[in-house]
Amino acid sequence: MSAATATASLPQRRAGARAFASLGTLTARRFQLTARTPRELVVPLLTPIMFAMVIAPALKSALHTDASYESFVALGTVGLLIPLNTMFSGLGVIVDRENGAQRELLAAPIPRPLLVLANLVVAFAITGLQVAVLLAVATARRINFDPTVAGIFWFVAAAALFAIGMYGVAEILANRVPRQEEYIARVPAIAILPWFLAGSLFPISAMPTGLTWIAKFLPLTHGLALMRYGLLGDRSGLHHIWGMGDATAMAALSLLVLVVFATALTAGSIRVFTRSALR
Amino acid sequence: MIEVHNLRKLYAGGVEAVKGIDFDVAPGEVFGLLGPNGAGKSTTIGMLTTTIAPTSGTARLAGFDVAKHPLAARRLSSVVFQEPVVDRSLTGRRNLDIHARLWEVDERETKPRIDELAAILGLSELVDRPVGSYSGGERRRLEIARALVSNPRVLFLDEPTVGLDPRIRAELLDVIAGLRSRREMTVLLTTHYLDEAERLCDRIAIMHAGRIVALDTPVALLAELGREILELRVKGSPREALDALRTRGIVGDEAFTVGATLTVPLHDAGAGDAIAAVNELGIATAISTRQPTLDDVYLRLTGDRLAAAA
Repeated sequence: MSAATATASLPQRRAGARAFASLGTLTARRFQLTARTPRELVVPLLTPIMFAMVIAPALKSALHTDASYESFVALGTVGLLIPLNTMFSGLGVIVDRENGAQRELLAAPIPRPLLVLANLVVAFAITGLQVAVLLAVATARRINFDPTVAGIFWFVAAAALFAIGMYGVAEILANRVPRQEEYIARVPAIAILPWFLAGSLFPISAMPTGLTWIAKFLPLTHGLALMRYGLLGDRSGLHHIWGMGDATAMAALSLLVLVVFATALTAGSIRVFTRSALR
Repeated sequence: MIEVHNLRKLYAGGVEAVKGIDFDVAPGEVFGLLGPNGAGKSTTIGMLTTTIAPTSGTARLAGFDVAKHPLAARRLSSVVFQEPVVDRSLTGRRNLDIHARLWEVDERETKPRIDELAAILGLSELVDRPVGSYSGGERRRLEIARALVSNPRVLFLDEPTVGLDPRIRAELLDVIAGLRSRREMTVLLTTHYLDEAERLCDRIAIMHAGRIVALDTPVALLAELGREILELRVKGSPREALDALRTRGIVGDEAFTVGATLTVPLHDAGAGDAIAAVNELGIATAISTRQPTLDDVYLRLTGDRLAAAA
């Protein structure tokens, strides 16, 4: 039988609809696997909630700052929650490869990038849920935010793009390291170290000049500045990065940085996965 | 249904796992790739299932080149892997359902087909339990059921019974033998168990060090050794004993040694003259005759004769 004849005999569903249906199946599978691992849902949430609920009020009291510092730190903890959660999600890739059904999925008649995109959809959804929980708990603790419609857009866009980019980092790392132990060992350097440099607990201008310059190149710095601009109306983070007067222009530039970050890391993660999957 | 021509795989680091192999498998045929670990069997299956990229050569499934049309090739095939490849925290049914969805089985057919396969493979009582609670044999039966959910035209079984205890292995061989009744399905099986290959396969390719060194039906392969073989446990060097027998014209090129055992295909010759000569030479501690098996074919082709020639 020739390839052309065989092609003609295949179901004539459009490729787009077929890919969308496969993505739905893979996403549902990943959701089910994640729901059976409460560790992935709960653990990343613990540290940020402790920061927002316990450490920020304690710092406010000890340092005699005002209520706005609690809001500043509460949003800073979003910058810890997103990397922690996405990195934990990346562990599922290693489990799939070592003890799961990844080889079966690689033998399935679906484009292999869908495997990465399905994992991304689930990591993104869980991260969104956790950010919502964090903000709800902070609000219940009477930490004030000042959202506007435009502000919510900036916040959601920044958080979403940063989460997408960080999942790309997690997927790349998971496909580069052979074992879970090695993956876990790298998480602090990727998820926690930048958090201290990116203006999470204090403005980046408070650091030595060299570190301030390094911070300007971290996607998290742009993400946090945008989130605070969105929910607190605080443009100082953007100003410390760009030094411009027009807040909207600075916000757009930082958003562009995050778009590039998310796009590059997602494309990179798909490339690394498909290469590592095909020996 | 499967066409493989000059297929070769050179891994990074210079290891040439498959060195230009050729074979064709007809529709409905059960074809075995037989060989020791490292012979290149799993690499060959990996290339046919598009998880390993061929370095050169071509492989086609139902006319689809696996390198140029991988999705089409994967759509009409299923694999049972050597290692467990399942989602252990999901139920057996969910594992089968995911396969059915990804292979685009009609939703109305999925549940009846899963129930039918679960019944055939003795999984009806287990199929709604998480796979993590299955025994090794149950899990392997589930993997076979999963591969069959999409009613593949080509089924790849990569060492399907390796690591299983003898009772479960025997049960599973019955299951695989039952697949022969699905005449529309072509099966490519790899194994290093000779009894498996002899029982299940229409034709066998024996692989050694990345090459196919013999390809024929089990009957034809056995016929190469004649009706009877002489087996000797030798004193001293088996090689010297072999040389002594060759000098006397008692054995030909097809005799081979494995450890202290010398195996001599007798073809149409009688055993009496050979036994008398062996006794006269005083080289053996034990002498027996028996019918040849695929073990003999396999050892002759992959044992020290080839190693010495390499």
